[in-house]
Amino acid sequence: MTRVFIVDDHAMVRAGVRAELGGAVDVVGEAPDVPTAVEGIRATRPDVVLLDVHLPGGGGLGVLEALRAELPDVTWLALSVSDAAEDVIAVIRAGARGYVTKTISGPDLLDAVRRVADGDVVFSPRLAGFVLDAFSAAGAAPVAPVEEATDPGLDLLSAREREVMQLLARGYTYREIGSRLFISVKTVESHASNVLRKLQLSNRNELTRWAATNRLL
Amino acid sequence: MSWRPACRPPATGDHQGSPPPDPGSVSGVITGTGPGPRGATISTVTTTVPAAPPRPPLVRPRSGRAIAGVAVGTAAHLRQDPLVVRVAFALLATTGIGIVAYGLLWLTMPVAAPGDEHDEPPLPGWRPQGAKQWIATVVLGLVAVSLLSGLTRWNNSVVILPLVLVAAGLTVIWRQLDTDRTLAVAGARWTLAGGVVLAGAGLVVLLATTGQLANARNGFAATLVLLTGLLLATAPLWRRLVDSRDEERAARIRSEERAAVAAHLHDSVLQTLALIQRHADDQQSVGRLARSQERELRAWLYDPKVVREGGTWAGLVAGLVAEVESDHALVVDHVVVGDAPVDEVLAALGAATREALLNVAKHSGVTAADLYTEVTPDRVSVFVRDRGAGFDADLVPSDRRGLRDSVTGRITRLGGTALIRSAPGEGTEVELALPRVAFA
Repeated sequence: MTRVFIVDDHAMVRAGVRAELGGAVDVVGEAPDVPTAVEGIRATRPDVVLLDVHLPGGGGLGVLEALRAELPDVTWLALSVSDAAEDVIAVIRAGARGYVTKTISGPDLLDAVRRVADGDVVFSPRLAGFVLDAFSAAGAAPVAPVEEATDPGLDLLSAREREVMQLLARGYTYREIGSRLFISVKTVESHASNVLRKLQLSNRNELTRWAATNRLL
Repeated sequence: MSWRPACRPPATGDHQGSPPPDPGSVSGVITGTGPGPRGATISTVTTTVPAAPPRPPLVRPRSGRAIAGVAVGTAAHLRQDPLVVRVAFALLATTGIGIVAYGLLWLTMPVAAPGDEHDEPPLPGWRPQGAKQWIATVVLGLVAVSLLSGLTRWNNSVVILPLVLVAAGLTVIWRQLDTDRTLAVAGARWTLAGGVVLAGAGLVVLLATTGQLANARNGFAATLVLLTGLLLATAPLWRRLVDSRDEERAARIRSEERAAVAAHLHDSVLQTLALIQRHADDQQSVGRLARSQERELRAWLYDPKVVREGGTWAGLVAGLVAEVESDHALVVDHVVVGDAPVDEVLAALGAATREALLNVAKHSGVTAADLYTEVTPDRVSVFVRDRGAGFDADLVPSDRRGLRDSVTGRITRLGGTALIRSAPGEGTEVELALPRVAFA
């Protein structure tokens, strides 16, 4: 059974998430702030951490940065009420494997937890929209001069990846995307994780700008 | 980080003295002695001036000054033409009284509060205010010099030049410190430094020409030591004064921000919570209230200003989603990529989008829909998707006009394409696309 750790500063939310996940996963612990979370996650070594983006004492980002290198086996799923682009992009770039908003329904949340536990990535329609915005290939007329020896492929989405992102933003599930594009669900998943990798590694202007305006780098 | 008050409180500077006494705005009390026949009591006559429109307070305006705004301010207060007052001052100045009076008024009259201006638009074609003031100052200075030289026949005229220098330096310093310009402005500091140098040089030359320099040096050294000692001794005090002033300012800004947030929360969140309590039994309206409040608060917190204020496609979409959600039991998850200013064509696309959403609300049988719209340099696309009942497009009776007319028709008339994908039981997706060249 998937072992889940919940980090959220609101007891109500923690209780709600626990109830929604029900018996389907094993909730091994919860924490209301950064120090407790770091300690608890170290002690329990969960499979998946449900991480609130806004936390007292450093935010979800603080937890991620403290533990990511130390615990590479833990997968992180960001959970937030905020739809602000910089919040979303920040946690994804810090290593979260997915992002869902707190308005997500119980079954969807469970599904998301299972998928990140299986190594997939979870895109909400909104996150897909941000990705498209950031990588908007058409709007990339002034291509930045390559500053360092980075893989230029990281800064562009392939046509297929764009298509997948667009369908995600339109509210399609992976399965629906697969049947729409005549590819297997596995292929859709690999496109999605490629996009996530690019999002994490790209030096693209827009991402850097977002990060810079919010002092994330 | 997520928000800042749109405007800072106006920097009121440090002259927040009590407002000037304004004899005109309160009822005037004229106290005089009665005719007083011999031995009679001295009666006090108190007359209340009928409350005509109150006189403007005696303040120096921020613009339209010739020297320091004394004459203009006085004129405004007396409801006279500034020219009259200026001439009066000039005439009085020849006797010396005018200069003293002017100086005293300059010292005592507060500067008008910002925005409290008596509208005296600068005359078109005039030189900039600053230059005008400088010219007036120089001219007056020359007049003063000639007067002074007349008055100081008794003395050797070598003192004139240093005196003028000192006076000019002082004027510069005064003018600089007198306006509400903060010293943070680069030019202000340099001007101030120039004034200090001018005055200092004047002083030195004065001492040198009168042969007092050697004497003054001792006194100067002693004064310097004394002043330095005093300054060092009281340094912590100054420090604390500056600190507390900064703290006060920060606290004021904070409390103003808090007041703004509180006002917003009161107008929105608290009102909605009250409504929710009242409608606690009606699940649907509670949900709707909560949802619309959430959307509003979210927009306030996170949306860029352009989106909030409308005028762009993203703002238009957010607005129409809000409208549909509040009128119908439908939750729309909308994602907007890219943005463009709204024109007629985009407004029509917005109307078609709205129609498509309404269609979902009416016919799909579900309460959620996804709206995705993307603006690229060559097209604007809109996707409205639901997972509801769906329909077979061939079986829709031809008299049902909703989608066909208000959506498809509207879009094709604009040169775009509308595509409806649906099958019974599999939901519906409406896809609208408009080429942007059509309205570039």
